Amino acid sequence: MKRAQKSLQFRHLDAGSCNGCEQELNALTSRFYDIQQQGIDIVASPRHADSLVVTGPVTDTMLRPLGKVWEAVPGPKLLIALGDCAAGCGVFQAAYASHGGVAGSLKEPDVVIRGCPPTPQDILDQLLRITAAKDPGPKV
Amino acid sequence: MATPINILEETGWIDFNRQQKQSGAQLLALTAFRDRQIRSHWLEPDGRVVSATFLCRGEHFPSLSPHLPEVAWDEREIHDLFGYIPVNHPDLRPLIRTPRWPRHFHPLVADLARTPVWEDAEPDNPAREVEGEGVTIMKVGPTHAGIIESGHFVFSIMGENVLHMDLHLFQNHRGVEAALQGLDLSLVPPLVSRICGADTVSHQANWAMAAEQLAGHQPSETLVRQRVLLLESERVLSHLNDLAQIPAGVGFQVANQRALAMKETWQRGLFSLFGHRLLFDTITPGWTATAQMADLITLIDDVNQTWRGWRTFVEGHHGFQDRMRDTGTVKRGDADRLGAQGVAGRASGLAFDARSLSPWYHDLAVHTSTDAHGDVAARFRVRLDEVEESWRLLRKLATKLSQESAQDVEWQPPQDLCGETVAFTESPHGLNVHVVALENGKVTRYHIRPATFRNWPVLALAVSGTAVGDFPLINKSFELCYSCNDR
Ligand code: SF4
Repeated sequence: MKRAQKSLQFRHLDAGSCNGCEQELNALTSRFYDIQQQGIDIVASPRHADSLVVTGPVTDTMLRPLGKVWEAVPGPKLLIALGDCAAGCGVFQAAYASHGGVAGSLKEPDVVIRGCPPTPQDILDQLLRITAAKDPGPKV
Repeated sequence: MATPINILEETGWIDFNRQQKQSGAQLLALTAFRDRQIRSHWLEPDGRVVSATFLCRGEHFPSLSPHLPEVAWDEREIHDLFGYIPVNHPDLRPLIRTPRWPRHFHPLVADLARTPVWEDAEPDNPAREVEGEGVTIMKVGPTHAGIIESGHFVFSIMGENVLHMDLHLFQNHRGVEAALQGLDLSLVPPLVSRICGADTVSHQANWAMAAEQLAGHQPSETLVRQRVLLLESERVLSHLNDLAQIPAGVGFQVANQRALAMKETWQRGLFSLFGHRLLFDTITPGWTATAQMADLITLIDDVNQTWRGWRTFVEGHHGFQDRMRDTGTVKRGDADRLGAQGVAGRASGLAFDARSLSPWYHDLAVHTSTDAHGDVAARFRVRLDEVEESWRLLRKLATKLSQESAQDVEWQPPQDLCGETVAFTESPHGLNVHVVALENGKVTRYHIRPATFRNWPVLALAVSGTAVGDFPLINKSFELCYSCNDR
């Protein structure tokens, strides 16, 4: 199935982050970045989402909740790993309760946004790349 | 501050710790070690650090929790991570351990060369719930509707009223203390810098302080000033964030958005000054990131232009003030009993601020703001004052630093550094303590005791008896981090 809209409605899930990635993700809602204007929004339920943004190296305690939330997002859907921890290359990879980021615990993410943490501008640029790719039609 | 090891017997152990509390000392940490020692460190009102040790009998040690409720979580954590048993503990449920942990797996004494084989089970521990007619159980989390860290709360409610909130945190437990164990000195800073995105400078400063203390290295006055400058810059950043989140807790969007904008301006300034928007990797033993002082002053002036109008606006908004007043009140006695830290303690009338006892701040005369009300309004107001105090300190430091020639002689801790020490700073969330033991240049124990670990039980108390709809507001007024709590 092809996506009808050129927008992105993501749900966020913290799987053991240090709160750095969350802070930068949150900054996207400030007037400096104003993601809603770009057709991107953060939704409260996975059922309303078309993508899941995961932060953190995926701790053992968050392993099952992560699987359940991903299940709850209706398809077609995108899995986005945000930050080095979720990308599987952060400083806590070797910790005993870390499961190797999104790829090590759930599946290969569709999009990886590197950085520790990535800046809000980096995040926005990558998200816009997704929305741009979603629409194969001519740009206005 | 290395202190002599003072080994006590059962009664002596309990009496010593109880007397410390009664004499007005602050508990820095209760730390377990692989060799079955349990050590407490206290900060006395004159700034001295004293400690005592109990040597477990077999696996057992006498619980301090019946006498000192503030260590109830510390002892549960020791039980989970070391397997040592606090005898007579009033509530020895698992704190960090989940049903997925292998039997007898105690990570801080285990051989971690082998990865644990996790049980095929749900990670939920049994909750403590209120039973009775008309009581509803409401579970929240571990995943949340907004962009926040994971945490699980089990509310017992009757109508609108919260009877009890049971905390099931530690979803973010990665095993940081174990990951630090065995590391070479040079590999410690990047991990310590990422224990918590909101208190990173404080954690980095603690590690630098610990390594320098152990090496007997005295950092120059200039270097210390540069570090205090970073600590205060972080306090402004974190407080601006919290001051934005509190109005968001009642849907007061204008106040939220304007404060978020100030936070963003501050972060952009920090990025151009120090190269990182959250100040990661800015302090290591012997080194501190530096910046142009004139640019810092311009940044403070810039944010202040919005700040003054914003402060008048939120303080004059009756609806907002009314929502905060008498909401989520923590009485002074409870704050003291549970060892509330930082803003949470000061807004309940406790005057403790580790900065006033820190040699790094000796010539700065930090003004401590307190409020006796203990409600959301008090926690909001104390933060307002603290931001302005931090700006005052930053201006003072910037003036001094601009007159000093910049760099220190480069110093690195010796490769074979040994010993044990305790280091602390006042993070934006309160007293943040690291207990560090090194052998031959490698970490043998790294215990992190952040302020939030003490404040979570205080939040649970603040919420009980209030309307469940007030939880978001009360929660935001504490704005506790999960990451350094869970580690
Ligand atoms: S990638 Fe960096 S900022 Fe993001 S959660 Fe990991 S340590 Fe924190």
